[in-house]
Amino acid sequence: MSATPNVSGGVRFLSRNFGLPGQTGIESAMKRGAYEMLKRAVAMKPEDVTALVKASGLRGHGGAGFSAGMKWSFVPKDKFPRYVCVNADESEPGTCKDRLILEYDPHLLLEGALICAFAVQAERIYIYIRGEYFYPWRVMEQAIAEARAKGLIGQNILGTGWSCDVQLATGAGQYICGEETGLIESLEGKKGWPRLKPPFYPAAIGLWGKPTIVNNVETLSFVPRIFEIGAEAFAGMGSPKNGGTGLFSLSGCVKNPGVYELPMGTPLQTLLYDLGGGICGNRKLKALIPGGSSSHILKAEECENLKLDFESVAAAGSMLGSAAVMAIDESVSIPRLTLWMARFYAHESCGQCTPCREGTGWILRLVTRILEGRGRKRDVDDLFQIADNIDGKTICALGQAVAWPTKSYVTKFRHEFDALVKE
Amino acid sequence: MPKIEIDGKPVEVPAGTNLVEAAKLLNIEIPTYCYHPGLTVVGSCRMCQVEMEQNGRTSVVLGCNTPAADGMKVITTSEKVHTLRASALEFLLQNHPLDCPICDDAGECDLQNYYMRYGLHDSRVNLLDKIHKHKVHDVGPTVVLDSERCVLCSRCVRFCREVAGVDELGIFGHGMQSELMNPPGKRLENDYSGNVVDLCPVGALTDKDFRFKRRVWYMERTPSVCTGCSRGCNINIDWEIERRYKDPQRRIQRLKPRYNRMVNEWWMCDRGRYGYHAVDAPDRLTAPHTRSETNGQGALTVDLVLQRAAAKIKAAVSKNGPKSVAVIASPHSSNEDLFLLKSLFVDTLKVDTIDINVSKEETGKQDEILMKADLTPNRRGAEEFGFHSGKNGGMSGDDILSGALDGDYDVLIVVHHDLSRLMGPKELAKLDQRCDYILYLGTHENGTVPVADDVIPLAMSAEREASYTNFEGRVQKTAKPFEPRGQARDEWSIWQDLAQLLGIPWKYASAADVFDAMGNSVPSFKGLTWEGLGNSGKMLAGVPEPAYRKVQSSKPLPAY
Ligand code: SF4
Ligand code: SF4
Ligand code: SF4
Ligand code: FES
Repeated sequence: MSATPNVSGGVRFLSRNFGLPGQTGIESAMKRGAYEMLKRAVAMKPEDVTALVKASGLRGHGGAGFSAGMKWSFVPKDKFPRYVCVNADESEPGTCKDRLILEYDPHLLLEGALICAFAVQAERIYIYIRGEYFYPWRVMEQAIAEARAKGLIGQNILGTGWSCDVQLATGAGQYICGEETGLIESLEGKKGWPRLKPPFYPAAIGLWGKPTIVNNVETLSFVPRIFEIGAEAFAGMGSPKNGGTGLFSLSGCVKNPGVYELPMGTPLQTLLYDLGGGICGNRKLKALIPGGSSSHILKAEECENLKLDFESVAAAGSMLGSAAVMAIDESVSIPRLTLWMARFYAHESCGQCTPCREGTGWILRLVTRILEGRGRKRDVDDLFQIADNIDGKTICALGQAVAWPTKSYVTKFRHEFDALVKE
Repeated sequence: MPKIEIDGKPVEVPAGTNLVEAAKLLNIEIPTYCYHPGLTVVGSCRMCQVEMEQNGRTSVVLGCNTPAADGMKVITTSEKVHTLRASALEFLLQNHPLDCPICDDAGECDLQNYYMRYGLHDSRVNLLDKIHKHKVHDVGPTVVLDSERCVLCSRCVRFCREVAGVDELGIFGHGMQSELMNPPGKRLENDYSGNVVDLCPVGALTDKDFRFKRRVWYMERTPSVCTGCSRGCNINIDWEIERRYKDPQRRIQRLKPRYNRMVNEWWMCDRGRYGYHAVDAPDRLTAPHTRSETNGQGALTVDLVLQRAAAKIKAAVSKNGPKSVAVIASPHSSNEDLFLLKSLFVDTLKVDTIDINVSKEETGKQDEILMKADLTPNRRGAEEFGFHSGKNGGMSGDDILSGALDGDYDVLIVVHHDLSRLMGPKELAKLDQRCDYILYLGTHENGTVPVADDVIPLAMSAEREASYTNFEGRVQKTAKPFEPRGQARDEWSIWQDLAQLLGIPWKYASAADVFDAMGNSVPSFKGLTWEGLGNSGKMLAGVPEPAYRKVQSSKPLPAY
């Protein structure tokens, strides 16, 4: 881990304290205002806190882009206890931004999580950290201990009579535990098999059957900032229906990969060329994956005027997802990219439901066969059709996560596949 | 009660009923693998997808995880539903070994059945691409697993956890490498292990007892009741007598639980399941035995034995009165057996030295799931006929035995009980000396046979029509798949023949005849008829139907 995070060039709103000396310690964090917003929040009525977050237009930065305030308001009125789960199981290929928050500003996350817990009157916060994130675990562990020593976690927080504990938990490193119900199952000590829907919202029936808010690290970290500048100002920072900024993980064939903070709705060109320094070897951009490996691929011409917010990317035929932007230049073979993607999903399918368990492996074998030169013409059609048979027929979104890229790779770059197969 | 429509047919179902169950009421099949009405819903196989129209919107839903709600219109016959099913099947068959020719499940396999009904696609899979897993995996003393055939529906896992309350099977690994296994250090060895074979929709779990014994399409099925304990689980007897080349003695191939909501739901215990071997065991009594001469009248028959027994009884009663005859009857006997026994000895001959109970009765393990400690099927029935261990002024089996040792009786009749389990060899020899005539009626060779003067072989419950009253007071009947072994006879017919020899003109043609007579004369059987027992039995007159009870461990483990 380099000493200074690569967030240079973008705006420094969420990330403004990243890399400042001593920032992970509570003393310096508090000097810079940490937990002031918590104080402000606990002076309000919990439902007003939720209303404020709703008004800010804050969307989930974990992948689905669901309105955070809306999610909080789904908690049924008379059901207790309630829990907040911080989803720090960042595993979507291409995504590496939550890690920076965990490592550089743990108190920002803690503060946001506590405000959320206060808003929904939760008695416990679980921070579920990806199994491979050893260092972030240690930073968080330290931060929690410090906050507890200061009375910010535990009984009667800030004299409000509201008590809330924080507990760290980790998975064994499975992608599927980032799916919110998979995460909950794993937290319960079971195999991380996503739950069957309906019930759709853990907000009503979640951890141990109790109301549970599962939010991504970045999403919760924005909450103190909303209090700082007000909901309206926050909403004004982004584009319509997309409040505030976002952390964009830029990777692939760019000169300066890294995490960049940008207002929602920033043009892709800014990220790719102004900040990312353009395509490696000054080659031409061939395609773009805008929201992590599970999003539809966009051809270069489809993203010339792309704006980086949930609606614009959806309108272009893909999704912003976890805002992991991957640039693909002319030198990259799409069938090889398919192999890489299929390998990941075949390995990470939890194996619970038929289409995903069997389909991911089948896709992998088909692509392998095509790349090894053993492919038949019909294999390309089969590839699409198998992906289509998975799409929307699974328990959790991992099915789509493999189906969408596969289908879009095959449709948009069919000639590359056809060139590899015999008649 | 929500009203819904399935394929244009209206149906009203209790609230909470899912679409799969609702469709069953209309005889419409929604195919399933992971769903089982006795287990929690996991919705993982995706075979049950149907189209559903509600509030003007059509969507694809899982039949197993969608409760019927007023106004729903369900479509199971559309092109789309067909494609969804075919695709789920194609996925499941992708790595399937297709060893139907050597698979016990062939003929009753849901992969085969649904493929024929909903699949019928050509394979797109390169055979060499199939992945391989454990082929013959010994998961426990009763069951073998073939992982390659497993469709990972997790029914067996849920059964162990939710019904048996044990953690003996689990799905390990992930993605395509997922595999059913025993958790580390565990084996599938609970008392209900055999049920996972019934539950397995494919041939992944096979029963060691049945493995490679018979093709299922050669077997006949007869509904019956397990007589292994006083629960009386409903069962089917699967039997085959034409092709006995593998094991010429074996007529029963296997027992399967038969659904009865009020008794055993879908399950049965292993004690009952594998207990049938006694029926065709080599030590079955198949012919009458005697210690006296046959007077040159040719081969010994049951009729000859009965003539002698009748003479002995007549002589004893006229010489020393009814007190010189004693009977130790058995709670293994059916209602009809005990009714005629009681009518003959107690009501007609006025013998009151008669009972069923002995204190050294063999008992078994009991739990809150199904198994009862009382290993007899009809103690409750016997009590209804007045056999009460001396409670109603009569004598208990123990009293009778000690009386017999004192030489109190000229004639001692013993049914089923093995005296050699109740007394030592010295006492047995003494009994032999003190009793003028011992008649034994039983099913197997045992220590009583050598001391009996005459022995009559009895048919076993699997070979006869009979009714039994379980511990709760439910009267249930067995059907007769095949004739009793050798000269073995229905017990009630023995008493009828004996009665005729003693001058009582009984003419019961069948167990049904006896039962209906019983319904007319025994108060607790009032109103019950043989026909009326149906397939799931009836409570004794005046005994209320017990509350529904979900058959499961008191400590179920969560689904997963
Ligand atoms: S879609 Fe894949 S990952 Fe999700 S539940 Fe099904 S098998 Fe598991
Ligand atoms: S489980 Fe057995 S019978 Fe069924 S398809 Fe597989 S091999 Fe054939
Ligand atoms: S062994 Fe049979 S019951 Fe168990 S998971 Fe596999 S297919 Fe299902
Ligand atoms: S039966 Fe509904 S998903 Fe398996």
